[in-house]
Amino acid sequence: MSTVLKKNRKPPAGKDRRSPPPEPIRNPGLSRTQLLEIHRHLRMNRMVEDKLSALYRQGKIHGGLYSSLGQEGISVGSAYALAPEDLLGPMIRNIGSLLVRGVTPLTLFLQFLARRDAPTGGKDGTLHFDDLDKSLIGPISVLGTLIPVMTGAALAARMRGESRVALTYIGDGGTSTGDFHEGLNLAAVLGLPLILVVENNGYAYSTPTNRQFAVDSLAERGPAYGIASESVDGTDVLAVYEATRRAADRGRRGDGPTLLECRAFRRRGHAEHDDMWYVPKELLKAWEARDPLDRFEAFIVDQGHATEKDLRAVREAIGADLDEAARVALDSPYPQPEETLRNVYFEPE
Amino acid sequence: MLTGERRATARAAAASPVGRPGGEAVLVPGDADLLKMLHFMKLTRALEYRIERKLYRQGKIVGGVYVGRGQEAISVGAAMHIRRGSGEEHDDIVSPSHRDMAVFLMQGVPPERILAQYMGRKTGLTRGRDGNMHMGDLRHRLIAFVSHLGDSIPVAAGCALTLRMRGTDQVSFCFFGEGATSRGDWHEGLNFAAVMRLPVVFICNNNQYAYSTHVSRQMRVERVSDRASGYGIPGETADGNDVLAVYDAVGRAVARARRGEGPALLEFVTFRMTGHSAHDDAGYVPKTLFEEWERKDPIRLFEDELKSRRLVDALALKEMESGIESELDEAVAWAERQPYPEPEECLTGVYHE
Repeated sequence: MSTVLKKNRKPPAGKDRRSPPPEPIRNPGLSRTQLLEIHRHLRMNRMVEDKLSALYRQGKIHGGLYSSLGQEGISVGSAYALAPEDLLGPMIRNIGSLLVRGVTPLTLFLQFLARRDAPTGGKDGTLHFDDLDKSLIGPISVLGTLIPVMTGAALAARMRGESRVALTYIGDGGTSTGDFHEGLNLAAVLGLPLILVVENNGYAYSTPTNRQFAVDSLAERGPAYGIASESVDGTDVLAVYEATRRAADRGRRGDGPTLLECRAFRRRGHAEHDDMWYVPKELLKAWEARDPLDRFEAFIVDQGHATEKDLRAVREAIGADLDEAARVALDSPYPQPEETLRNVYFEPE
Repeated sequence: MLTGERRATARAAAASPVGRPGGEAVLVPGDADLLKMLHFMKLTRALEYRIERKLYRQGKIVGGVYVGRGQEAISVGAAMHIRRGSGEEHDDIVSPSHRDMAVFLMQGVPPERILAQYMGRKTGLTRGRDGNMHMGDLRHRLIAFVSHLGDSIPVAAGCALTLRMRGTDQVSFCFFGEGATSRGDWHEGLNFAAVMRLPVVFICNNNQYAYSTHVSRQMRVERVSDRASGYGIPGETADGNDVLAVYDAVGRAVARARRGEGPALLEFVTFRMTGHSAHDDAGYVPKTLFEEWERKDPIRLFEDELKSRRLVDALALKEMESGIESELDEAVAWAERQPYPEPEECLTGVYHE
């Protein structure tokens, strides 16, 4: 009767998630001022999250905390490559993108501490807020769902005859959602200026990438949609910057969307409450050795744009600013109970 | 982007295998199978003609009518590879689309029961609960078609997971159109099958229109099979109006799946020779396209092929046709004699009992 196939029972072959050794960082023509600005954003991103982590451990943060440790180069590099009027849809690991757009650490602290003066007025305790004045569209908690929204934003921009592009992020896990497919396919068919940055950080919660997709690189999905795609080292902020610039140029020229895979690694748990026991220690060690901030600092020191002393001064200045912002935020009031239902639905003026 | 028509022409002209997943050897059916294939193509055409052109117009059909006229080669060529009639641990599982009438027939559902289904009778597959293709029958290993296009893809992948967990070499067959490939469910089901290397064969009838949306507004790639590379599975495009090409491509993909080598995405280029359904006059489809594809009618092409092989002649074809017609006369008469369900049965069989 039936042939029993042992082969059938074998799990899919494992994949090397360490990524090839990094190429040296190259300056794509940025000025010293720009390089130092990028450095400041990276450092700020790191220190804001360190501060939030400390507040979380003190029991002062009400919601979840999703770290971008090791992925800061993706947020900062991609956001820095855009024009201020370009539509930007960050996800939960993109504090760096918000900082580049001018969201202040105080705003972030107020939001995470769920205070009245936060963008969501204390109704949400993570990054689920937007700021249309800064062309920022807020993350949707359901992963993948922001992609069709940003496709729609890109369509609106084109219909208005604006030269804006739309950029949003998704993790490796989010690429398996139906919304990813529908949003990207529509952008492809209509030739919209959408840049979809895939942060391939090795794990979707506890699911490793070899249980998430059967391709070697998510950039292989580009040809399947008939669109441009690239895979870059996500620990090299300038490589991300350069690839995003190319994608934005493509979008503005009317050459349609770009799928940009940035390879990095999630060096914390899915969220602060997750001890990620399921992640092999040697993987963490391998990726720690290519920390995006360490790499970029070594690069600017090596190129003579800054000294170790300068870097320390930046750290100290940011540290002082953040201490002050945290103090102000902690002293800020919580919302009143009667405000609970306000701003939940649209309120005509 | 190419304009719709130009692209359709280019696509049709280029409809040839882009790769041969599952082996180089061309699978060729034997003479008995060739005649069986012709029989089922003609039976499907004749049955759908009665439903769409006669019974529907006589007001005897309760629901909508979606036919696969011009696409019979895909259902028939594929269904030749479905293993059936040997028990639950051996038979393949099939998820047909709404344009795969031949699959129902070849799985052993008699025409009279399909007619009873369309007429909303008690002896239809859904016992009068539905009046069109939303029917299945697990005794025939047919998973009922899910009306939301694309939703049967994760279902078929789930069936394949069950088969793999059993450790047998059974295969799940999954049919859909090119419009469904833009659906999120399609992506989720395909990706899951690819990651788990499940024994499922994805069979797309690219009939170039999803209701009124031309395929050029459906995707930016030239071929549906181009999407396969994004999942790390083999993809292949073949002429959907050539039943032998379908037979060959599906046979190889099924053999691969039985060997435990995972899913494949097959695209068969064809044309929807009707409106989306019987109520749609397809006014949005350029007439020239119908004329062009009429010349490539899969049944006539196959008849010519079998004539040139001297397997049939005009007389044999005539006999086959009159046999089918009298079978259908009886089937229609039987279906019309069937009772409607009783009002009190409304809620039975709706949920699992």
